[in-house]
Amino acid sequence: MLTAYPRLDTTLYRHRLENGLQVLINPRPGFTKTLAYFATGYGSVHNQFILDGQTHSVPAGIAHFLEHKLFELPDTDVTARLSALGAHVNAFTSYDMTAYYVLCTGHFYESLRLLLEFVSTPYFPEESVKRELGIIDQEIGMHADSPDSRVFENLMQAMYQKFPIRQPILGTSDSIRDITPENLTLCHRAFYDPSNMVLSIVGDVDPEQVLSVIRKVLGSETRTAGEKCREETEPVSCFQPRSLDKMEISMPTFLLGFKWGRLANSQESIRLEVIGDLASEALFGESSELYLSLYDQGLIDGSFGGGFEVADDRAMLVCGGDSDDPQAVFDAVLTQAEKLSQTGIDETAFLRMKRSALGRRIRDLDSFDSTCFRLCAYALSDFDYFTFPEIYDQVTREDVRQFLLALTDRSRWSISVIEPL
Amino acid sequence: MIQTLSLAPGITLRGCTDGRFKQSVLSIQFVRTMRREEAAQNALIPAVLLRGCRAYPDLRTITARLDDLYGAGISALVRRIGDYQTTGLSCAFINDRFAMAGDTILEPMAKLLQQLLLEPVCQGDGFCEAFVESEKKNLICSLEAERNDKRAYAGAQLLRTMCREDSFGIPRLGTPEAVAAIDPVSLMAHYRKILKESPVEIFYAGGTSLSQVAQALSPLFSEMDRCYVNLPVQTPFRDAPTQALRTEEMEVAQAKLCMGFVTPITNRHEDFAAMQVFNTLFGSGQSCKLFQTVREKLSLCYSIGSGYYSSKGIVTVCAGIDSRDMEKTRDQILRLLQDCRDGRITQEELEAAKLSLISGLQTVHDSPGAMEGYYATAALSGLALSPEAYMQAVEAVTAQAVAAAAGTVQLHTTYFLKEVGSC
Repeated sequence: MLTAYPRLDTTLYRHRLENGLQVLINPRPGFTKTLAYFATGYGSVHNQFILDGQTHSVPAGIAHFLEHKLFELPDTDVTARLSALGAHVNAFTSYDMTAYYVLCTGHFYESLRLLLEFVSTPYFPEESVKRELGIIDQEIGMHADSPDSRVFENLMQAMYQKFPIRQPILGTSDSIRDITPENLTLCHRAFYDPSNMVLSIVGDVDPEQVLSVIRKVLGSETRTAGEKCREETEPVSCFQPRSLDKMEISMPTFLLGFKWGRLANSQESIRLEVIGDLASEALFGESSELYLSLYDQGLIDGSFGGGFEVADDRAMLVCGGDSDDPQAVFDAVLTQAEKLSQTGIDETAFLRMKRSALGRRIRDLDSFDSTCFRLCAYALSDFDYFTFPEIYDQVTREDVRQFLLALTDRSRWSISVIEPL
Repeated sequence: MIQTLSLAPGITLRGCTDGRFKQSVLSIQFVRTMRREEAAQNALIPAVLLRGCRAYPDLRTITARLDDLYGAGISALVRRIGDYQTTGLSCAFINDRFAMAGDTILEPMAKLLQQLLLEPVCQGDGFCEAFVESEKKNLICSLEAERNDKRAYAGAQLLRTMCREDSFGIPRLGTPEAVAAIDPVSLMAHYRKILKESPVEIFYAGGTSLSQVAQALSPLFSEMDRCYVNLPVQTPFRDAPTQALRTEEMEVAQAKLCMGFVTPITNRHEDFAAMQVFNTLFGSGQSCKLFQTVREKLSLCYSIGSGYYSSKGIVTVCAGIDSRDMEKTRDQILRLLQDCRDGRITQEELEAAKLSLISGLQTVHDSPGAMEGYYATAALSGLALSPEAYMQAVEAVTAQAVAAAAGTVQLHTTYFLKEVGSC
């Protein structure tokens, strides 16, 4: 089915195959490149699941390890084959999603066939799994030296008591040593069934030919997929109010996090995301009173920013940057949230903020990468991303004020600071 | 198709009209010769200009104006292009068809650029002191923050070590000491000099015709009192005796090995395409020799890659490794380079490298940002090839030509950042 979105001057072809796979194609006539994302709603927080009636617990970091190992096929050097087609292939794992993507300027259908084939084929020779340990150990080392990664991971550990977002996406050097060909195969069976996945394509392609390639590689059968489960009850308040760490850096860096409750459904999640982004803009965005005041006082610089983030069925507001006095910024954000929740936002400023946010989202559609990613991420939540202008239409000033009011609960805030050694 | 218009002596507008995009990009760069004594000033100026102008005297009013223009973005643009440093502003804004009926964005954006560039908030003969002091602090912080990103830091330390006598050794944004020494009056005097004598490179890609863009910008340039001075041409790497191996220690979990090589082949040289193919085959992407051997076969690293600074003729290789593996990794890198020199290059490797480069060039016209990145720097860097001519040159490269290009590459300096107290 082809839907037109006149406000965005774009169209979207949508199809669900017999095997349950969602296919989304955003046609871009006249463009040379084509980008395809093949994604599953499985990420690092899904380390407990039920498959064939049995509950399984798997090691932290396995979703990411699996992403690395899927690039192998029994008789084909995937990277070499795709390179020979001039295609660029890569992948990433987040807290709640794993995506594989291929960027082409020619030979698209052959590249797509290879992408679908290697992602859907579990092939984990013992030797190759062992070899990967050394590579991922170095990736863990690289992240350990990154203040941005560390300040975020520390914040998650301060905010959450049980939710597995406490564990790094990569796992730890210890946890990845429990990864075996057997538990990799188990996770693949649980989460890489086409019914759990989305294929999004941005480019000038023929939808029928795309469907034909998919049917040939993935077939039409559906299998039993894993069911995500989580035993924990996560408290409403943050686990710890602060986290302090030291690293080889030049000045303190910090993040503030507000813990939102569990999200009821995807519709609520999308609406809340728009409200959260507008509230962030009103509270500490570049056009806000607070931003100017903190910038003029030298308490923040251009690195300061943030927004509303969703990971699985949890959400949070996060902001931060570099500052000599993170606590002063924290206090000022809370005071301003209290003030704005009482006074509300001026109607003219609210309309200007909405117009700006909408304009930025439209500009972002020029990015193939961002469009492909968002189409996938939102489709995994059963939401049509291109209807975002209507969400903006529906959001009111009162919605934003209510959001700001929620932010006045201090027990749901944590601060993570990294200081120089 | 890219058009080039001369708006006035030394003021060049390049760009194209392309209705496929949702947004337009417009960048204005003033081109300077990279000099130690002015690098910091050139880096500071756009940040100060973005703090306020007569019509929009602070950050909040500027952002509100950008919000009114449907979330337009404007940012500082400071580049190193070979021996040149550019300073200026870059903006992106939605095309008129997404605005409310009758609203146009290009003209008000051009007006805002004019206000920011020509009507800064002044105090006496200088810029507003509070703006300058606050942006000096921010720039110093961001210079000092270079060490937070260990890979970038190690790469920069390598170039600073090997390029002591070359402009490439001058930090792109100056040094903290040079920034600290800047005062609002001398900064304004320097800025006036830039406006008067520097070549100006403007780039536009979006839905409007280039002549309309020229017209929208004409009030800006008619206001400027110009006496344009030509720049010296780009020069190849200038050698100086240096340490063959420099080691530094830091509290890090992962060591960084960076190796700097030199070659007489620059982007002005007839073997330029062969050199690019060599660099891609040797160290770019997942099918290159370094990735396939050092990472995939030997598990020595997660990240490894090479880069070719074509305006200078410098090739660098950087890898994140365990300190204990330094010599092993270094030997492997040199062995793989020797394989290239000896012509041990498979047809698959050659074709994959050529296709990778060609694919990259083919997509230049698929994004306004990529077009800006190519056309606003290529001519300045000395590269006289359009993406199409460049692709043809790559297509013609043979394995022998790659081996010959690799044969010119010589190790110059090695920089090693390692954990405190490691072997």
